[in-house]
Amino acid sequence: MSGKIAVPIFPGTNSENETVALLRDCGGDAELVHWSAAETLGRYDAYVLSGGFAYEDRIRAGAIAAHDRIMDFVIEGAQNGKLVFGVCNGAQIVLEAGLVPGTGAIRRPTAAFTRNAPEPHFVCRHVYLKIAIDPSRSAITASLPKDALVPAWQANGEGRLAATPEHLQEIVDGSHLAFVYAFADGTASQSASPNGSALNCGGLINRAGNVLAIMPHPERDAWNFNHLDRREGKDVLAPSGGAMLFKSFVKAVNG
Amino acid sequence: MVNQAPVNVALRKDELERIAQRLGREPTAAELHAFDAQWSEHCSYKSSRHHLKKLPTSGPDVILGPAEDSGILYLGEHDGERYGVVIAHESHNHPSQVVPFEGAATGIGGIVRDVLCMGAEVVAVADPLRFGRIDDPDSHQRSVAVGVVDGIAAYGNAIGVPNLAGDVYFDESFDDNCLVNVVALGIVKESEIVHSFAPKDAEGWDIVLVGKATDASGFGGASFSSLTLDTEDEEANKGAVQVPDPFLKNVLMRASYRAFAYLRDHNIEAGFKDLGAGGVMGCSAEIVSSGGFGADINLDEVNVAIENMPPEVIAVGETQERLLWVLPPHVTPEILRIYNDQYTLPQIAYNARATIVGRVTREKKYVLRHRGHVVMDVDIDFLTGSIRDELPFTELQPAVLRDEDIVYPQLATDEIVDLLPRVLAHQAVCSREPLYRRYDAVVRGLTVIPRGAGEAGVFAAVRGGKLGVALSVAGNPRYGRLNPQRAAELAVVEAACKVYATGARPIGLTDCLNFGNPRKIEQYSEFVAAIDGLGAAARELGLAFVSGNVSLYNESTAGMAVAASAIVACVGALDDLAKTITPGVKQAGNALFVVGNVSPGFGGTVFAELLGNDDDNVPMLEYPQLRVDLEFLRAAMREGVVRSCTPVGAGGTLAAIARALFAARGAGRSLGAEVDGEAYFDETPGFVVEVDDQELFLRLAGAATVRRVGTVSKAAHFVINGESLHVEDLYRVWSAPLAEVYP
Repeated sequence: MSGKIAVPIFPGTNSENETVALLRDCGGDAELVHWSAAETLGRYDAYVLSGGFAYEDRIRAGAIAAHDRIMDFVIEGAQNGKLVFGVCNGAQIVLEAGLVPGTGAIRRPTAAFTRNAPEPHFVCRHVYLKIAIDPSRSAITASLPKDALVPAWQANGEGRLAATPEHLQEIVDGSHLAFVYAFADGTASQSASPNGSALNCGGLINRAGNVLAIMPHPERDAWNFNHLDRREGKDVLAPSGGAMLFKSFVKAVNG
Repeated sequence: MVNQAPVNVALRKDELERIAQRLGREPTAAELHAFDAQWSEHCSYKSSRHHLKKLPTSGPDVILGPAEDSGILYLGEHDGERYGVVIAHESHNHPSQVVPFEGAATGIGGIVRDVLCMGAEVVAVADPLRFGRIDDPDSHQRSVAVGVVDGIAAYGNAIGVPNLAGDVYFDESFDDNCLVNVVALGIVKESEIVHSFAPKDAEGWDIVLVGKATDASGFGGASFSSLTLDTEDEEANKGAVQVPDPFLKNVLMRASYRAFAYLRDHNIEAGFKDLGAGGVMGCSAEIVSSGGFGADINLDEVNVAIENMPPEVIAVGETQERLLWVLPPHVTPEILRIYNDQYTLPQIAYNARATIVGRVTREKKYVLRHRGHVVMDVDIDFLTGSIRDELPFTELQPAVLRDEDIVYPQLATDEIVDLLPRVLAHQAVCSREPLYRRYDAVVRGLTVIPRGAGEAGVFAAVRGGKLGVALSVAGNPRYGRLNPQRAAELAVVEAACKVYATGARPIGLTDCLNFGNPRKIEQYSEFVAAIDGLGAAARELGLAFVSGNVSLYNESTAGMAVAASAIVACVGALDDLAKTITPGVKQAGNALFVVGNVSPGFGGTVFAELLGNDDDNVPMLEYPQLRVDLEFLRAAMREGVVRSCTPVGAGGTLAAIARALFAARGAGRSLGAEVDGEAYFDETPGFVVEVDDQELFLRLAGAATVRRVGTVSKAAHFVINGESLHVEDLYRVWSAPLAEVYP
């Protein structure tokens, strides 16, 4: 059975088309839901929040969008066990909504994805995300190999996880740290972090495992043609690389 | 008719007299400002149009030459549909010098609208930049260099259009006049092109203004851009710079895509145009007059941000983020619904909306109404017709080569090894990564070669298809200063070579001509010579210019003009993305060849500067040989023997080999190169090519200029005639200089 995936867009969303295209190429029944049609969101089985600048991000990224009507439906869905996947600005919104790490109340986040360091500006750079949980901990990551290394692009001005030491400890203790930054050879270390993120964090997951938020964009290194070092001879239009995470998500949605 | 007191405009006395004579009365304030905008150099091209006619503008790859807001080149077929690449090229020099962040951001905003209004999806931008000396951290030049980049990044990143190509040079001639050129590309099916003129049955149709509420920003922008910058007027000039809003633009773009889809689905023809210079007046007058009509506009219907603005400000203010439709009345309600209800424009920005502001008239007059008064009533062809200013110039000395003057310095190996790090650290050669890292190069998920990974960007043109597009820019001010004509030729050839290096076939060009004061003979002569150079090179390569822009008066009050800067962008077509060639070397043992790169002359090169050589023989092109070399390169690429390719540019052949090693490093491969003394620092166009099947490569070469220069090696060392340098050390030297400027 195939579940229906909504990719809701806010006025400043800018990565919706590639996100829908990739979900479809991975076998998902995905469609865009416009902000003026938010009331239809309850009908969907899963949500993917894509990148951009939802409400301009003039205060902390995602903070305004987290209070939008769209998020009422996403939050309700998440609480009922629907799968929610946030990428970049989507990750910031999911975090600001309190869905990840989920150690506080709804819309009372206990951490933030905040201004990059040491370069306090927008940074576009190729990165690798290494899975930091047992993939089976979450339906969304269940189909990934144990030491999955997901190629992606960091493209944000705010992606550095920041929280109090107590809240960072909660993230570690609750196994919320889903992805960390790594080098191409798979070595994960703080020096692989492109933005000084606490815990070298590139992605967070909630306790139940049905909400995942990652800061870099795997959907920008997701087809053979957009790998920096293309594997020649393969179908250039086939999804690969960063698509592995979307395939795993779609598989979970389709059951 | 309201009679106004004379106002401050840039029109000359003879032009004022001509207007009054034609009208048979004194012009109103609105009319004065309208003519001021339309007859400015910026809008009318009065001193440049007749020279621009010398450029080739047609050819088998041209779908639409320079006639509307953008040109269109034929890209290829996908799924039985013919696809075109829409390209526009503009400058935003004056505003960026005065208000760097907003000025540059506005440049991106404007160029994106030029492409959008052809019915295209905007898919890429590029930014050729020229800044002054940036060594002093407290200098205005440095703040311009940083502010411009941040402005471009903030705008382009927000609207979700990848920045895929560009270049940057630093030169003292730009101390008082930075150059901020911007290029945008769009993709459109040939059958779905929307034109920037009122269609043939448009009489009585609605004129619909879409976007941001008109305010007083950008008032006098067109005529301001046609003046020499005076630092004393800086505060006043800031008012002529528009305020950009990329977030509103993001919504406007997406809503416009929806409007295109609606018109296409219902098979409805319409006109669509960007509001640029001259605001509501300039745009509405041009869209109707180019269809052979007139217009009647009611300024009271224009959505404004400020109450009680004078009519001339509403009419010609250049507020950003606005577009204008000419629509059959039965379609208007649905288009208004898309913008205002589905995309909720009024809730996105204060008083933003789509509104009917007037109608198309059969009578060829341009009428503006305001509070019950007619504030403008003129013959529309008189207003928008081309006016011509024949300015004096002298033929610059033609580009003849003086062989006897060229003395190539012979360097010993230790001198070459000494010089290489200095060349790599030179501001014309060093890594631009600290700068372009601020740009989103991968949004849309269709990027194949991102900014910085090659000399040209490459992207997938159609989602789900194999068609690709390559985009490059070029224009070396060091050559421009010495020889404007040859510099222009080299800009064309260099831009084309960057495209060839990706495996794509160049299909067309655009230019942005940045020069000084046309009223000074020597500066105007440089401009005329550059056009000759552009035309010559384009004809030799069989390419056409399909759009472009002229920016004159890039001169400070102290009288210093910018180095002659004919900046060129080149678009290439790839029929299969799998055939893209990347610059990073691939495998140890492969041979390195130089293809082309034979033209004599090294004036203006980094190498000449570092050696203190003042030779002014800018490299001279030998076209017949160049064509043979380029044809061979394409054949070798088609045969699959070319594993990587890097164009030779600033820093010469050795710098190109170093860049090929750095590119491999960026793709996660640690490799080196062993070369002999045949490789050098000369910058004439050519390629460093990595080859696996040498025999086949040489068999294909025929009469092409090919010389073997070395081998890719396993250890990450750059070995020159036995002298070894660490690639990591060279990479650090190459990466450091701009990291200080763009931390």
